[in-house]
Amino acid sequence: MDRIASLKRFLNPEKIAVIGASKSKNKVGGIVFRRLLDSRRRLFPVNPKETAIEGYKVSPDIQSLPKDIDLAIITISAAAAVKSVETCIEKGIPNYIIVAGGFGEVGSQGRALEEKLTRLAKENHVNILGPNSLGIFLPDENIDTIFVEHGDKSLDRKGRVACIVQSGSVGVEALGYASNTGYGMRAFVGLGNKCDLDEIDFLEYFARDEKTNCLGFYLENIERGRQFLTVAKEVAREKPVVVLKAGRTHTAASAVSSHTGKLAGSDNVISGALKQFGIQRVYDDEEFCDATKVLSMLSGALGNRVAVLTAAGGYGVMCTDFIEKKDMRAPLKMAKLSKDTQKRIKEATFPFTACENPVDITASADDRMFSQSLDALIEDDGVDIIICIAFFAPPGISENLIDIIADKIKKSDKPIIVFTKYGPFTDNRIKNLYTAGVVAYPSVGRAVRAARFLVERTKIKQRLDQKA
Amino acid sequence: MEKKLKRWFETLDNKEKPDEFDAKQLVKLYSIKVPKGKRLGPEDELNIDDIKPPYVVKVCSSTILHKTEFKGVLLNNDKECVQDNFKLMQDRFPKENILVENQSTYMGPEFIIGIIKDPALGHAVMVGAGGVLTEIYKDTAFRLAPCSVTDATDMIDELVLSPVFDNFRGMNLDKKKLAQTISQVSRLAHDLGDKLSQLDINPIVFSDGEWIALDVKVMFE
Repeated sequence: MDRIASLKRFLNPEKIAVIGASKSKNKVGGIVFRRLLDSRRRLFPVNPKETAIEGYKVSPDIQSLPKDIDLAIITISAAAAVKSVETCIEKGIPNYIIVAGGFGEVGSQGRALEEKLTRLAKENHVNILGPNSLGIFLPDENIDTIFVEHGDKSLDRKGRVACIVQSGSVGVEALGYASNTGYGMRAFVGLGNKCDLDEIDFLEYFARDEKTNCLGFYLENIERGRQFLTVAKEVAREKPVVVLKAGRTHTAASAVSSHTGKLAGSDNVISGALKQFGIQRVYDDEEFCDATKVLSMLSGALGNRVAVLTAAGGYGVMCTDFIEKKDMRAPLKMAKLSKDTQKRIKEATFPFTACENPVDITASADDRMFSQSLDALIEDDGVDIIICIAFFAPPGISENLIDIIADKIKKSDKPIIVFTKYGPFTDNRIKNLYTAGVVAYPSVGRAVRAARFLVERTKIKQRLDQKA
Repeated sequence: MEKKLKRWFETLDNKEKPDEFDAKQLVKLYSIKVPKGKRLGPEDELNIDDIKPPYVVKVCSSTILHKTEFKGVLLNNDKECVQDNFKLMQDRFPKENILVENQSTYMGPEFIIGIIKDPALGHAVMVGAGGVLTEIYKDTAFRLAPCSVTDATDMIDELVLSPVFDNFRGMNLDKKKLAQTISQVSRLAHDLGDKLSQLDINPIVFSDGEWIALDVKVMFE
């Protein structure tokens, strides 16, 4: 079967066997099994030492499983895991997640086990994720096999970012934290040691997945490098591809080898190659989440002229500095507002409003003034992106401002990015904005950087369309 | 191109380590300009009537990679002193060939164009601030080979040095031609394939409306 088609069954299985499922809530096999109880799929725990878990009858061995299992999650340790995969293959099970570590990352014995898995996958045409994989999580499908805390309750449904990560903990920690301020995840895949399934398989899968509109990767080494780049370039014609590539310096590279047992290539070459193939590179997990969030929620800006609307003079000045600063990403510039725009804003606000960009409508502004000023900026042809510095402390500003901004984003093609702070309630406010459909960040620098991601994306798209 | 490359290989004395003169013949196959010059053997007399002064006299050896450190380069030789300095160089390196070239005058900064082989991604082409301080400046940009002229233009734009192309202090450097050269070098790497380990064109300078490779090193596996 076509591998990509076969991954559909992997990521949306009907019947799941958990090898090593346990009554104990502290064991991986116990946690994974309990997570799956919410999935509304048919579950088949396997463990010779147990008879029943959470009301499910436990099979003593793999042979006793029914025939048409879609996915086996192997939660037992390395050598035993390999043996059980062999038995499962005889049983005809097509898909595997291997959670255990103790393979290529720990030395020659582990490497031999991992090579055996690679061979088993190839010879029998089955899909193996891992070993050393944190699992998969697809909120829309209620599939969650991740055995560590990861903010699942706060990650939004109908998310559109597919996150494919080599190190599971980087992924879950970053996304768990991002979920505090709202993050729309379509899927999480922990690649682990990549004995069989690797980033290219999921790149191809999520490129064709209708629910995905942005792909993000955390990678330490890129398998089949040229092929990954070539496929990613094709995908980037339609959907943004973001890569966090770690293992940059010499020391970090040796850290990589102890982590997944492999060395990473030279960083300068990678940087150049990613640019060449239309992939947007990020450098840490916060930037990863910021980039994928804005790229999945807003489409690219037509140009790089930014208008800043602010209720606080100081932040307006700071924002201007960030916009005009030279940056390795796409350059931005302050938009020159038309006379008409300036007149409209003055009429809507105060005669003394500073209407050169940044537009400072002061802390005396109210919801209506914000709304009308925003309209004027949206309708100004000299503006490509709007950064809106919104505060909720001024007496004239109410919670309604969230819906006002959300409504304008829905009606206009012009990207609007919000920077807001609200003391200890900041995260919550940003999450409310997210829920309404507004991209917001808690710092000026991050809001401006998000604008750069959009402009960078536009340039990539133009370049790829040209070459087509 | 395959035929030309094959012929070039056949002319090499040392198949693993081509010297500077050989390396320059190689890049010439890809329309990259090099100074007019002659490689002369340890017993040869100086015979450079067809080359214009001033001259640069260099030791030309596949084993001496850093010529300057071994006093293997003499610059600014006019017609009068070139004979003496040629003899001096032959005495200094009695077993080696000597390369005598026209010394180009040029404007603007020195650039470097190079090729390295990345263990995971294969050949990559680099452009950067060149000259002897290139490793200190670390002002470089990379792309995988082969790369298009558009990609090469992006590389130049990434350099800290890139404003020199905006008529900086009256310098009139041809960015497009440099981008074409980068793309050609990447093509060379692609054509040579796996056996090419590294290549350095350093410096490459803008002289008389052309980018000209003043020194070229090529290393095979």
